[in-house]
Amino acid sequence: MKRWMANPIVRETVRIVAAVGLALLLGFIITLFVSEDPLNAYRSFLLGPLTRLNRIGDWLEESITLIFLGLATAIVFKAELFSLGAEGQMVLGALTAGVVSLYVPLPPALRLPLALLAAMVVGFLWGAIPGILKANLNANELVSSLMLNTIALKIYEWLLTFYIKPPNAGYTASDFFPKEGVLPNFFPPIPGLEGVRQTLVNQTNLTIMLYIMLAAIFVVYFLMYRTPFGYELRMVGINLKFARYGGVDIKKVIILAMAVSGIFAGLAGAHLAMGIHTKLILNITFGLGFEGVVVALLARNNPLAVPFTGLAYGYLRAGADVMERASDMSREMVLVIQAIIILLVTAERVLPMVQKRIAASRSNGEGAAAAAEGGSHAA
Amino acid sequence: MPLDVVLRGIFSALFAASVLRISTPVILPALGGLISDLAGSINIALEGTMLVSAFTGVVVSAYTQSVWLGLLAGILAGVALSALLAFFHLSMNTNIILAGIALNIMATGGTIFLLYILTGDKGNSSSLASGAVPVINIPLLKDIPFFGTVLSGHSIFTYLAFLLTWLVSVFLYKTRLGVHLRAVGENPEAAASLGINVKKVRAIALLLSGFLASLGGLNLSMAYLNIFQRDMTSGRGFIALAAIYLGGRKPLGTLIAAIIFGLADALGNQLGSLKIPSQLVQMIPYVATIVALVVYALRTQAQVRERMHKFQQREAEIAAKASGD
Amino acid sequence: MAALIEMREIVKIYPNGVVANDGVNFSVDRGEIHALVGENGAGKSTLMKILYGMERPTGGEILLDGQPVHFHSSNDAIAAGVGMVHQNFMLVPSFTVAENIVLGQEPLRNGLLDQAEALRVTRELSQQYGLRVEPEAVVDSINVGMRQRVEILKTLYRGAQVLILDEPTAVLTPQETQELFAAVRKLVDQGKTVIFITHKLREVKEISNRVTVMRSGKVMGVVQTEDATRESLARMMVGRDVFLQVNKPPVTRGKKVLEVHNLSYVSETGRTMLHNVSFNVYGGEVLGIAGVEGNGQTELAETLSGLRPAATGTASVNGKAILNTNPRTVRLSGVAHIPEDRLTNGLALTASIDENLIVDRYFRPPFHRGLFIDYKVVEKQSADLIQEYGIRTPNGKLPVKSLSGGNMQKVIVAREFTSDPALLIAAQPTRGIDVGATEFVRDQLVKQRTDGKAVLLISADLSEVMSLSDRIIVMYEGEITGVFPDAASVSEEELGLYMLGIKRQTKEEMEAVL
Repeated sequence: MKRWMANPIVRETVRIVAAVGLALLLGFIITLFVSEDPLNAYRSFLLGPLTRLNRIGDWLEESITLIFLGLATAIVFKAELFSLGAEGQMVLGALTAGVVSLYVPLPPALRLPLALLAAMVVGFLWGAIPGILKANLNANELVSSLMLNTIALKIYEWLLTFYIKPPNAGYTASDFFPKEGVLPNFFPPIPGLEGVRQTLVNQTNLTIMLYIMLAAIFVVYFLMYRTPFGYELRMVGINLKFARYGGVDIKKVIILAMAVSGIFAGLAGAHLAMGIHTKLILNITFGLGFEGVVVALLARNNPLAVPFTGLAYGYLRAGADVMERASDMSREMVLVIQAIIILLVTAERVLPMVQKRIAASRSNGEGAAAAAEGGSHAA
Repeated sequence: MPLDVVLRGIFSALFAASVLRISTPVILPALGGLISDLAGSINIALEGTMLVSAFTGVVVSAYTQSVWLGLLAGILAGVALSALLAFFHLSMNTNIILAGIALNIMATGGTIFLLYILTGDKGNSSSLASGAVPVINIPLLKDIPFFGTVLSGHSIFTYLAFLLTWLVSVFLYKTRLGVHLRAVGENPEAAASLGINVKKVRAIALLLSGFLASLGGLNLSMAYLNIFQRDMTSGRGFIALAAIYLGGRKPLGTLIAAIIFGLADALGNQLGSLKIPSQLVQMIPYVATIVALVVYALRTQAQVRERMHKFQQREAEIAAKASGD
Repeated sequence: MAALIEMREIVKIYPNGVVANDGVNFSVDRGEIHALVGENGAGKSTLMKILYGMERPTGGEILLDGQPVHFHSSNDAIAAGVGMVHQNFMLVPSFTVAENIVLGQEPLRNGLLDQAEALRVTRELSQQYGLRVEPEAVVDSINVGMRQRVEILKTLYRGAQVLILDEPTAVLTPQETQELFAAVRKLVDQGKTVIFITHKLREVKEISNRVTVMRSGKVMGVVQTEDATRESLARMMVGRDVFLQVNKPPVTRGKKVLEVHNLSYVSETGRTMLHNVSFNVYGGEVLGIAGVEGNGQTELAETLSGLRPAATGTASVNGKAILNTNPRTVRLSGVAHIPEDRLTNGLALTASIDENLIVDRYFRPPFHRGLFIDYKVVEKQSADLIQEYGIRTPNGKLPVKSLSGGNMQKVIVAREFTSDPALLIAAQPTRGIDVGATEFVRDQLVKQRTDGKAVLLISADLSEVMSLSDRIIVMYEGEITGVFPDAASVSEEELGLYMLGIKRQTKEEMEAVL
């Protein structure tokens, strides 16, 4: 037990799985108290997303957003920057992607890449602002990124309300994007498989964003662990003074980290606009930006772990949707479960305490002195 | 609407009264956030604390048919959430920002979840006959033209907000605990060396911030509106944080900053009819907060540069004298 | 007269095995100013921390007024009338002087703070002991001298009878030092007892009644100040351990590599830490900088390596200007730097050994090719260096924090020595590492010099400076006070006199040999 717990990856994994398991257990207890038919409710929560094709689609769509946000957050957190700016970058990403999709008269082969590119650029620039403030003025990135989130949201609402919304529309939203501005289904039109494709198109909005997401995971991984910039980013995160002493340009790294993070948040926004909603609506992000923090946190800021935590987290959310439709439970229970997971995973003292208990109880048979010693070793 | 009508609207007593009304649910949590911020523990969970207390107040007052019990329960719930934050931050060494985010998520989810269980509705509590805090008409004052309209007829929370600004100020600057709290926030090592228990002081600060934030939440659900709506705080907890920084981390400054946010909000509503987009007006305080951060940083940098310049000048003078001899 | 404080046979062994105090007997009489002197690491701070309740002794006993006492925390010590003024001040910057003095024991009236009373007490104490402060000034805006007086008043407010002043003059200007001395005398006149920790022997002569000299955790002697000369004290303090055996082949001095002219540095608080420092370092020599720590050596190393901005002056390496650029430019100009504090600057503890070895070169070929860092090359280099420098680790993938102190230092040395520098700045290169690693690092330094590099060695360990250097300069209070062109012909006593500010060469004398 002690030996394999010494491996940090194993230890982290055990810790996260244990936290998720405990949170799900608490969720079940809540369900027992509240639901008329708790077993059915919890079954639909845990298994629901897999039961139908369209539900699998919903799960994956949601997960794509979460994975992009998780990647964005992992980048800034890796540099020990507490920026919560993903929300604002995502809103503006959705806005620019939407505007290009709606208005730029280009064929899909050009319009779609342009829309994605625009979202990435805007995310990059908006992310650079708190970076510049931090690097040059040492302005608290948490506060400035929160302010910029609201500013971005207001810009979005303003343009949507006054310029993008058709004048005669009854509620604040854009027209649906023309088909040149909608991302194609992820399943390619392979001759002979048109039937399969049609079924998928009817069932899900899962688009080629899936492939972009997969590419993004590897891009972030290589960026973080294989490029000079990634090295600088990680060294700044581990020990800023060491990086400076070694000759790393700290200011450049801080600004770029925030800005590059914005690229992926921008893509998350593009996915919301062009993949999921295919129009611009109010509250398009609905507080998803903070969820990226959770995804990155559970993945310990490792880009290769982000898809797994993103999918798991997306699964919980999708499961909650199914549960809500299939039972008397409301989907918000999953938020409580999420919160418990975060608290259990981030509490530095939980695992050492558990380990100590285990160690103590194991060595009980070997005498009191050994117990004390075992306890202190595990701690 | 023509311009003069709008202008008359803005310079009216009713408008001024509405600014106070809109500002109240920002002032109260901002004062709370100020206390914990000065103690060195930034409270991101103000938002969640407000939601939980707003919800609890409505539910308890509906079931007990007592406004006072509702208020009491709302406060207890808000303080309990802060206690949870303090526990995780101070006892479990959880990063306070992450713990705060978690509690916000829990508050959002938990309130909607319970609302649905209790009412079968996920949007609001309109099916519950919850209590409302009465408005206070101040005798004599209410009959004075203009000032009567501006200052009288608000809920008790609005008056409390101003009273509490003063009380918080007295607390922070005139009481032993308040002074210890600021010392802990600024130099915990020094405070500890004088026998001040840093963790205890921070825990108290977080509980107080929970108390004030819950007043803000109760204001929303039992005075501002008389129902609970899902996500009814809509970011006020974060605006409160901004107000602290815009207000220079002082009670009076925080009050003024919160009123500026309220003013921008109220103006936005008025100007909406004038083709001046309300969103742009509402954006102003956020931009101002960033500008305040920038100005503060520039000032600090200038001071360091100035010291260096002074030294160089002095050296140059000495060198000039030496070569002159 | 019985001693007021008597510490008997104090032993302190830290968990890592370091013996800081080894059977120390220390006694202080009532009403005296007792100087406690010794080099860095002699054990005087540990002894005082024990007296102030911040550390628990491993053995021995403390008597106060003849009664045994056991302090579990500094609160106990304060209650017993022992106060300590630390080197780094414990003040709240935004509070006023009076608020800082009464913090923790504020006077109240009707449950609220009594500011008037706080001001009154502050003024009264200030007057009584001649410690001039502005009670209503905000601490952030007052100078270092006044901050120190505030610290002293803080201990007096808490009823201290015995004051421990930990290197109180380290941060003061000469005038401020004189003011402090006047105040200390006044304290004693009013019945207080003062323990004065310092390395400055001139001050010892000036202020104290008695001196206890410590070296390597032991007391070397207790003398009446009037019976001691600065020279005799210096001999007791500095005394030689064992002569180091370093094999140093003769090398002819090469061309000028580092040229420093009139370098000054001003700290962020406005204090002049380096003043018009000028010297050169040539290829094939070790230039040693001797000096008691805190006399500008840290600032010198860090301005030269690009970590701090210089206020005035120039410095160049092989003709390339390096001051006020940035660490990358300095390194590319051919400078390598073993930093004084390896855990803060020298290493990223949770990063792997591999990655710690490339911080100065990851962006250049062969490590950087195309878009990526070639980790095959990184690992290869790491494997080679681990072997060559004898770093004890199963492999280079482990985090640096898994290594011992000596092996951590070897990682830094391996990186800095293999960057092919023209100039090597080595600051406290063997501090706190084991004997084997120390010997290895010293041999490597000499090897670099024999290979024709210029080496600037900064060390508080005098025997290290003497045995490794070809030339030695001494720094005292931010200035160069002595230059010795032949390290082999200077005695440690002679250096000690310069290090402690007793002797000083004139500008002309120094220019003649520089």
